[in-house]
Amino acid sequence: MKIDPRSVAATLAALAVLGLIGAAAVVFLGLFNVSAKKGHLPGVSWVLHTTFRNSVDLRAPPVSEAPNLSDPDLIGLGAKHFNAACRVCHSAPGHGRTATMLSMLPQPPHITDAVGHWTAPELHWIVHEGVKMSGMPAWPAEREDDVWAVVAFLEEVGSMAPERYDELTGGIGADPETFEYCASCHGANGVSGNQQIPRLDILSEEYMTRSLASYRESDRDSGIMQHASSEVAPEKLSEFARRFAEARPEGEAALTDRIESAGAQLATMGSGSDVPACVACHGPWSEPLSEAFPSLSGQYAPYLAAQLRLWRAGRRGGGEVAELMYQAARDLDDAEIDALAAYYAALAPAKLNPPDAP
Amino acid sequence: MWPGGPVLICAILVLAGCDGPQSVLAPGGEDAFVLANLFWFLLAGAVVLWCAMNGLMFYVTRINPRELSERGAQALILWGGIAFPTVVLAGLLFYALSIMPEQRAEGDGGLRVEVTGEQWWWRVAYWPEGADEPIISANEVRLPAGSRSEITLEADKVIHSFWVPSLGGKSDMIPGRTNRMSLAPTVPGLYRGQCAEYCGESHAKMAFTAEVLTPEDFAAWLDAEAGPAVPPDTALAREGRAAFFAEGCGACHAIRGTPAHGRVGPDLTHLASRATLAAGTLPMTGEALARWITAPESVKPGALMPGYDHLPPERIAAMAAYLEGLE
Repeated sequence: MKIDPRSVAATLAALAVLGLIGAAAVVFLGLFNVSAKKGHLPGVSWVLHTTFRNSVDLRAPPVSEAPNLSDPDLIGLGAKHFNAACRVCHSAPGHGRTATMLSMLPQPPHITDAVGHWTAPELHWIVHEGVKMSGMPAWPAEREDDVWAVVAFLEEVGSMAPERYDELTGGIGADPETFEYCASCHGANGVSGNQQIPRLDILSEEYMTRSLASYRESDRDSGIMQHASSEVAPEKLSEFARRFAEARPEGEAALTDRIESAGAQLATMGSGSDVPACVACHGPWSEPLSEAFPSLSGQYAPYLAAQLRLWRAGRRGGGEVAELMYQAARDLDDAEIDALAAYYAALAPAKLNPPDAP
Repeated sequence: MWPGGPVLICAILVLAGCDGPQSVLAPGGEDAFVLANLFWFLLAGAVVLWCAMNGLMFYVTRINPRELSERGAQALILWGGIAFPTVVLAGLLFYALSIMPEQRAEGDGGLRVEVTGEQWWWRVAYWPEGADEPIISANEVRLPAGSRSEITLEADKVIHSFWVPSLGGKSDMIPGRTNRMSLAPTVPGLYRGQCAEYCGESHAKMAFTAEVLTPEDFAAWLDAEAGPAVPPDTALAREGRAAFFAEGCGACHAIRGTPAHGRVGPDLTHLASRATLAAGTLPMTGEALARWITAPESVKPGALMPGYDHLPPERIAAMAAYLEGLE
């Protein structure tokens, strides 16, 4: 049989036009039923799920980027964030799934099943990136390091007893309209007792108000605090900041010779011609300091080190004063960051401008 | 118009650049005189040679055009093409080499000035004879007339070059090593120095004033410079001082006699006694100070000092009033 190329082309063109008309009809006439009651056509679920699994496999970060995931403070922070942000779809140990959760398509797995066989880096990728068209949201921040707290919790949750979960989270979360919501992580007196959650009793109202506004405006990057601050009514934020600012920091210095020799010089004198003296903005300092700066005296070392690494990378954010700190931190090396964090953590907790100062 | 007119006008305009505070042709020190003499000597020689060559050319093409014998041509090549240039160039080489040791002369043991090239400013430390610690300043080099001061040159991160054309030759400043030179200024006055090695975005705005003082004036100045800052005593300046410390300026800047002892940026102890701000870029006025504090990047691209445009203008004006009074 002789094939006429012109009739082949004409046939293909006609088919393409018909296909386009069909697709347009589905989109514009609403012919496709998007009902979640209907489920997927046979085989579609398998295609979607297999695509999802392989996509995560391909893109998960190397395991070497993970911090120590058995750190109890990291697990505690992750559990509290899960309780506040994720429980609504994935339930919690000791609780069943609600009828509403079960009516979603796809159904969000119960958290004790959800972690399944995923490795820590894969969980990190899923939590940070989210999963398109599944209802699983992406991490609200660009930052990746704070996702590890949730991963640390997820590593344990598969076999977690309900009592352990309640102990980590304090049970059902507090109402975001109340101060107790903030206090459930940061402590009623601003002292969290968790090294991964900054203590607020040493901070000023101005600094905290500014930070909360930065979180709300996504100007400061933290998946955990961007979620928390967006749950609270904006007009309540400065009230809660004031509550924490009223706390009087208590505690003794815990300086050892080793900590002092590594960090004191750097904090009080800076380093060479690259690193400014921390104390000139963050205290302790002999002159009154601007309340726009945070006091660091007594702040937890892991939190300080994480923040300094963000500053150095130029990713911390936090309003218009942030520019100062980018310049200050860009030449710090890892050893200097750890030494500074240890030094400030060992100082007696204090406000920037202690009220009883001369 | 006479065809030479535009040439003459251009020449006058260009030659006007030969004078002023930053010119090799307006020397104010022994080293610069030697260099200026070298220039004039070479220029005179070049003029003589140019006239002779063109005269010869004119003679053989217009006045007496004839064929040269083979012998004559060979002699001309040997004498005019080999012997004459050899003698002239050897003489010039001898002359130029003979002035080099002077350019590397040791200081007379009195003052040593240590200058460090930063991005993009000059860290200056004065070491008077027998001093245990230096007197720190920035963006200004003052020297006594009539003595030869030792200059040591260092650089922080990238290569710079130290050059005060009116006082002497230039020397590179190289990170990780110390170069040395010396200057023997003779004529008191204000001169201008400039970074002479491309060092990044604001290389063109990395200048400084070099002031030559009589030995008595210099001694008095150095004495005052060594002392702590004398803060201005007005209400606005006191407010500015409080703002300076509250905003953390002391983390990077030092003001002797106060808790500020930062080493990252220029020392500000006697800031107001300097002629310029931001390494020869702005005049030393309150207005310029306020502009600099608000947005250094707009004055000097790439400047490492962060801008304080988040502060209210009144607060910056108060800071400027404080700094402007630090004599």
